[in-house]
Amino acid sequence: MKKNHHALKRNLTGYLFITPQLFFFCLFLVYPIFEGIRLSLYKINYQGMSFIGFDNYIALFNDPVFIKSTVNTIIFVIVIVALTVVFSLFVASAIFDKNARYVSFIRGSYYIPVMVSMVVMSMIWSFLLNPANGLIPFVARELEFPVVNFLGDKNLVLPVVIFVTFATNVGQAIILYIAAMIGVPKELFEAAEIDGANRRQVIFKILIPSVKPITLYIVIINIIAVLKIFVVIQLLTGGGPNNASTTLMYFLYNNAFKYNQLGIASAVGVIMFTIALLLSIPQLRSMFKK
Amino acid sequence: MLKKSLLAMVSFILIITVLAACGDENEKKSSTDSGNGKDTVELSLWLTPQWKGVLDGSEEGADYDSFFKHAAERFSEEYDEYDVKINVEVIAGDQRDEMLNVNLNGGTPPDMFFESVFAMGDYAHRGALVPLNDIVDDEAKSDIAENYWETVTFGDDVYFYPFSHMPGTMVYNADMFKAAGLESYIGSEDSIKTWSLEEYEEILQGLKENTPSDQYSNAFPMGLYALNNQADTWNLAYLRMFGNEFFGEDGSLVVDDENGAKALAWLKKIYDDGLTNPGAESVSSNDVNAMFQNQQLGISFTNSVLYNNLQADMENGNVAEFDARLANIPSESGDPLSFTYVTGTAVFDTGDETRIKVSKDFVKFFSTDPELVKSSKNGVPVRTTVADQYKDENPLFAAYDENAQYMFSFTGNVPGYSELRQVLYPELQALYIGDKTPEEAIAAYQEKGNEVIEKSKADSVIYNQ
Repeated sequence: MKKNHHALKRNLTGYLFITPQLFFFCLFLVYPIFEGIRLSLYKINYQGMSFIGFDNYIALFNDPVFIKSTVNTIIFVIVIVALTVVFSLFVASAIFDKNARYVSFIRGSYYIPVMVSMVVMSMIWSFLLNPANGLIPFVARELEFPVVNFLGDKNLVLPVVIFVTFATNVGQAIILYIAAMIGVPKELFEAAEIDGANRRQVIFKILIPSVKPITLYIVIINIIAVLKIFVVIQLLTGGGPNNASTTLMYFLYNNAFKYNQLGIASAVGVIMFTIALLLSIPQLRSMFKK
Repeated sequence: MLKKSLLAMVSFILIITVLAACGDENEKKSSTDSGNGKDTVELSLWLTPQWKGVLDGSEEGADYDSFFKHAAERFSEEYDEYDVKINVEVIAGDQRDEMLNVNLNGGTPPDMFFESVFAMGDYAHRGALVPLNDIVDDEAKSDIAENYWETVTFGDDVYFYPFSHMPGTMVYNADMFKAAGLESYIGSEDSIKTWSLEEYEEILQGLKENTPSDQYSNAFPMGLYALNNQADTWNLAYLRMFGNEFFGEDGSLVVDDENGAKALAWLKKIYDDGLTNPGAESVSSNDVNAMFQNQQLGISFTNSVLYNNLQADMENGNVAEFDARLANIPSESGDPLSFTYVTGTAVFDTGDETRIKVSKDFVKFFSTDPELVKSSKNGVPVRTTVADQYKDENPLFAAYDENAQYMFSFTGNVPGYSELRQVLYPELQALYIGDKTPEEAIAAYQEKGNEVIEKSKADSVIYNQ
């Protein structure tokens, strides 16, 4: 009993130290989540709000634009996350054991786009791709090549957005992988060399399994980041053409700030939260298993 | 140890509570004593870019907020009830609804907003504005024509104090017309040229085939855009080209008929024939306007303020000079399609009686002061006295006046107009990329549009008074 009391006393100090952080965490993160869930059950206008149960959710699932946004978001998540992991693994495993200067140079080149604001990147891409006065269509017209509207073709707009987002984000993953790979014990590679393993076997049997926790981390943070994809859509395509590139976050934004449908927007937020939670649980579980 | 931590914790919570309480206190107080016996009232006025300068764009340092800053300065000097400080903020047109919705939901709307009435009518329907009947006197009623008062009246109340109006037209590059051998279609500088639809098609064809590419590289006959809702009034006007009535008597859309589909088919045809800029589905009106200024378009859209700004930019050397003249939007019947944006000021219901009162006094001040109302000549003045005064200086005022007989009300004063605007451009995009036929696109627009109108009617405080 005395021991327990002592432990409690010791832990209490720790809890007190994290109380301020916990207070703000509850105020700015936990409370809004519950408030969002509550608002999603109301019809809200400037004069007041009325409880309507699940009507907002029913309206959402009957809205083809919402379905389209969900499908697009899932496509973005799967393709961008897969591309990021595969490409950054490829780059990192190719260079991690090379000359330190060379590694720094590659790392820097891929990291520069991460440092540039997504807004700036989107505006530059918009300047390049604008079908009427953009640089690429202009050069194509001057050279008499067939002109394609990358932003206005519903089959091309998703690949374009995927490429722009991927190119901007991949640097982060490369940095993390290189750091992790440099940390893999040298003995493993030496042992493999003695056993006569080739480069491919070293990468697939030693390197990739050794950096598994980093892979999980990259997958989770990228899933969450891509779920919230917004700036590129807002600045590059405006969700068009005919809602072909709209995403959940963009749909939420439009409802909340353009159409003033706060209830609907909150319902979208709740659905996004649930999706993110469901996607993260298996990964978090496997991460904590060790 | 525990004691110390507890003490620290308690003091921390105390500080937070005190700070929060202070914040609250400041929030609630609208006026503070400024030391000279008069209370100070701080107000905010937002506007979207209209004209530059106080009276004229050629003034030094002329900007979009010059007029209101000047008016605020004079008001502060002359107003005797309070010391007034007015913060003027220019908001981008495409950010207006986002900014307002965020601030309305957060309980911090601006005190005043100067903007085209059509874009703000929804806020009256939503109950966010206060009526201005008490600051409209008989003098104003007789000086400003009845049709402008109708535009700013929702239900029985006046919600906007009209200041000027901006008729929307087309603008064409007369130099490019000449280079393409289209001299015969050019109107005089002081008139708004009216072409028949056949003539208009001949012009587009002529521009496409005969514009010398060494002189005008990367140029197209006409500007067409559907990226978002900006400047969609011209797109709405095109929908009326073949005689469509647009709104029925009950205020619902009746655009889905033969004429409506014909109009969309016409747009699709000129787009497919290369008579417009490419990629209309992902080009915005801003892009189109910039392209016209860069002489990459023969014909584009404009309104009186945009047109004046273009002329001022040419004089200042910001834009290379060329001969830009006005024309009407053509129609099949031969009568031009004409509309105007009445601009004016609304006062938001901030819940603070003092701020509302001073805001109203300020709106009345700059909307009636004989010197300040002269600035309305940057658009077209709503006041007959001002229009008469500047008739000789600006001969276009007479031309705009002539157009008044062809005027149509593009909002139909329906509730939910802001959201209604959001359902048109996706259908236009679907049309241009070939996803929908003209018939399908117009039917989908009518269906979605009427849903919006019905829903907004149910929420409108004006419909449900």
